[in-house]
Amino acid sequence: MSPHLVSQLSVGGATLVLLAGLMMLWRRGVEAHIKAFTAQSVALAATTAMVGWFAGDWQLWAVAALLLLIKGIGIPILLQRMARRFGTERELEPYVNTATSLLVGGLLVLLAYVVTKPLVSVSQLPTRTGMPLAMGLVFVSLFVIISRKKALTQVLGFLMLENGIALLAVLGAHGIPIIVEIGVFLDVLLGFIVMQVFVYQIHETFESIDVEQLNRLRE
Amino acid sequence: MSPWLLGPVQASVALLLAPGLVGAVRWMKARLQNRRGSPPWQPYLELRKLFAKEVVVSNNASWLFRAAPFIVFGSTVAVTLLVPLLAVPLPFDGAGDLVVVVYLLLLGTFFLALAGLDPGSSFGGMGASREMTVAALAEPTMALAIFALAWGAGSTNLGQIAFRTLATPSEALAPGHLLAFAAIFVVTLAETGRLPVDNPATHLELTMIHEAMVLEYSGRYLALLEWAAALKLLIFFTLLGNLFVPWGVAVTLTPGALLWAVFTLALKLGALGGAVALVETHIAKLRLFRVPELLSASFILALLAVTASFLL
Amino acid sequence: MSVPFLTLLLPPLLAAAGALVLPPRRRAAGALHAALGLVPLLAALRLAALVLDGWTPTWGPTDLFRVDALSALLAGCVTFVAALVALLGPGFGREEHYTPSQVRRFRVFASLFAFTMLVAVTANNVGVMWIAIEATTIASAVIVPLTVSKASVEASWKYILIGSVGIALAFVGTVLGYFDFVTLVGRREYALNWTVLMANARVLHPPVIELAFVFILIGYGTKAGLAPMHTWLPDAHSEAPSALSAMMSGVLLAVALYAIVRWRAVVNAAVGPVFSDRLLIGLGLLSLGIAALSLVIQRQYKRLLAYSSIEHTGLMCLGLALGPLGVFAAMLHLVNHMLAKSMMFFLSGRILDRYGSPEISRVSGLLRVMPWTGGLFAAGMIALLGLPPFGMFLSKFTLVRAGFAGGQGWLMAAVLALLAVAFVSLLAHLNRMLYGAAPTGVRQGEGGGWGVVPLVACAAALVVLGLAVPAPVMELLERIVEIAGR
Repeated sequence: MSPHLVSQLSVGGATLVLLAGLMMLWRRGVEAHIKAFTAQSVALAATTAMVGWFAGDWQLWAVAALLLLIKGIGIPILLQRMARRFGTERELEPYVNTATSLLVGGLLVLLAYVVTKPLVSVSQLPTRTGMPLAMGLVFVSLFVIISRKKALTQVLGFLMLENGIALLAVLGAHGIPIIVEIGVFLDVLLGFIVMQVFVYQIHETFESIDVEQLNRLRE
Repeated sequence: MSPWLLGPVQASVALLLAPGLVGAVRWMKARLQNRRGSPPWQPYLELRKLFAKEVVVSNNASWLFRAAPFIVFGSTVAVTLLVPLLAVPLPFDGAGDLVVVVYLLLLGTFFLALAGLDPGSSFGGMGASREMTVAALAEPTMALAIFALAWGAGSTNLGQIAFRTLATPSEALAPGHLLAFAAIFVVTLAETGRLPVDNPATHLELTMIHEAMVLEYSGRYLALLEWAAALKLLIFFTLLGNLFVPWGVAVTLTPGALLWAVFTLALKLGALGGAVALVETHIAKLRLFRVPELLSASFILALLAVTASFLL
Repeated sequence: MSVPFLTLLLPPLLAAAGALVLPPRRRAAGALHAALGLVPLLAALRLAALVLDGWTPTWGPTDLFRVDALSALLAGCVTFVAALVALLGPGFGREEHYTPSQVRRFRVFASLFAFTMLVAVTANNVGVMWIAIEATTIASAVIVPLTVSKASVEASWKYILIGSVGIALAFVGTVLGYFDFVTLVGRREYALNWTVLMANARVLHPPVIELAFVFILIGYGTKAGLAPMHTWLPDAHSEAPSALSAMMSGVLLAVALYAIVRWRAVVNAAVGPVFSDRLLIGLGLLSLGIAALSLVIQRQYKRLLAYSSIEHTGLMCLGLALGPLGVFAAMLHLVNHMLAKSMMFFLSGRILDRYGSPEISRVSGLLRVMPWTGGLFAAGMIALLGLPPFGMFLSKFTLVRAGFAGGQGWLMAAVLALLAVAFVSLLAHLNRMLYGAAPTGVRQGEGGGWGVVPLVACAAALVVLGLAVPAPVMELLERIVEIAGR
């Protein structure tokens, strides 16, 4: 696989991952969000596998398989269950409206490009071309978390943030040591499960998952 | 053949093909919807009918009302000289590049909007304001998307861009190109008044954008405006076809190459027309306040196309 | 070398397993839990002794665990507070408002919480350190809403969301640091070891490691309670059960600060101290300012203590930016704060049990109602204010001295002004609580048996640290200054 092709595929894969993230800003329904997250995880797994093939690193294949299993299949199943419970509560009026959110998303991608310039210039790897897009996903996910009103959307934003960081690690350094990788997976899974429990708790206590209701504790 | 003759040849080919293109799209849509539909050459007959009819002008209209059809038609024909319709590189490359193309199209839109406002009818005003909303978001997307291609080609000259893609075929599948294609496709739907932005077949004034602006026109003025709209569709399809998939475009100016170019152009137009017909059949018209969301999304696609081109 | 590590890390896991299995109401279960809470403290003391003798104990493949002076100090702090929690937490002695299932849940997750914190401070691999700190968020978040109410659910949601997002940003920084190393040296299994990073720090690319540090500071700073990422802290620390608040305020903030100190050492070795100093001063001053000003308007005493934690974390951050003497002051402050804040939160738990209200206005006549608790509360508050003879006076004084010595006169003036604001507000709140008539319906008399004794020990330790820092502690702190680098 020639380095140029790898560069193109890295940018292509990273673009797909980022686009799925931008879907979260565009679409409003919970089902659409979950589909976007699933597509993003699959694209991430594919990119990881591609880098693994190029680098000849079996550990990346294992990571790709884990990504597919946990984030492409496992977590979406749990999310679907939550969606069935809370799916009728659409993200009606986020703090920032859709068109502006998309424009802000675009600006964040540009910002990410500027921020990662020193990284791209020091690296020698052909996969480094996709790094700005991965950082862009990190910023866009942060924006999703702070600008959306439904607790479920915030959880999805957090999961996408983790996807973005994983992509950054894969493209920038061909993955992190396997011990740390597995630990990270466990952490994210546990974190997600606890968050899921909390969303149910919020729903029981507040009768909705609108985080605007969480305003009793002030100053 | 002298290169300067290419200009009028391109323009005449475009003028001849444009109404047929609109008719073909209409016919394909009808067939997809299980109707017989009017034959693909129906728009030619419509144009002939309109040119023969009497012109009725409102008392409140000014000189702008009579001048606008000519300005719109003229600017659109000028654009056909600048796009890689049949051959690259173009003789008028020195005269205009992508920026000129975008702004000539915008000039036409601008005067059409003014003409909608001029007679003082409420539907015209409504159509004009809606058209401006759409254009405000579509135009920068268009410019950005073609700029993404220009970055890779090293020049904003449209002929040059097509030439470059011919020279390095692997670039055609670059992520930047694919994203730009998606962005320009959405812009095409918006600028030419197709679903989901505007329904070209509607007769309900409250849902019109383009139709509302030309509501007051009749006779040869209306013929000119309809022809210009058809030309606009052809231009956008040409950009989509010949900038992204330039094979078939003539590089030398021999009659054989040119005929082959016309043939491949017709194929590409047919394919794109089929795609648009498919999209129109599947999607319902968006409510007006949702249109900026769609256009913002295409803007982001164009932005990503530019960054992807930067990165590689 | 494995015995000290095993006796440090295994008991909390066993305690969690035991709490899961045994019925929580039985005295035996409580006693076992308390015993298992004391063993790690002894192990930490043993490790500290080894370090003072000149050893650097390591354990595990690729030196996964490594204890130097900094790790030893923090392990000591964590195990101390964990022991207090095991002794004074829900379910052990005293009149209790918690159901057996709540007690069980608390014991399991508090033990896991302690375990993860211990892994975080003894891990050599910054990736494993990250995993452990993320795990602390998860473990502690589960028991913040021990009693489910609208306020506690809100607090726990904010905690886990903001905490996880912050930790994720710290992970970005970790990845960038790894990326820098890998670009230079190539992929290695032990590339994320702190020792390896320090050894190669001089060759790391400046812009990349600086960017990494920004993410690290924002990320771990969120966990440490630095402004402007602090918004979760007052809610979480006030709504959590008091024992958990003691652990979170006392040591979790310290563990996050530990992570910052480790990375700061790497960055300073790579690009010099100016970059990190500027960032630390900015965030530290902002935290100090926001906390000091917020203290004025507080109406609940647990929130008051939480904002005080933010204030002290800001001070520690500032200390890290003031050169070796500042680092010394910051680390001494960490120990003092751990003692004082945990004691205060345990005391506020007793106050909450007795008075039934978290509002300051509802608490009065504390000295009359519960003489021991009131006295210790006053002592703790005076300690937090930074008055002699308590240890905080010494550490704050050293910090200010370090600032003036480093030429940061204006900065120190601002710090002193903000500390004065905090001083006045805390004193005012304290007076309102200590004196006056006791409200009707509140049972008088200390009660609660021997529960006060460990807290008296805390106060005594504070006094000792304030009069003369014991030689072993001094030695440890000096070693830490060396490790933290310049």
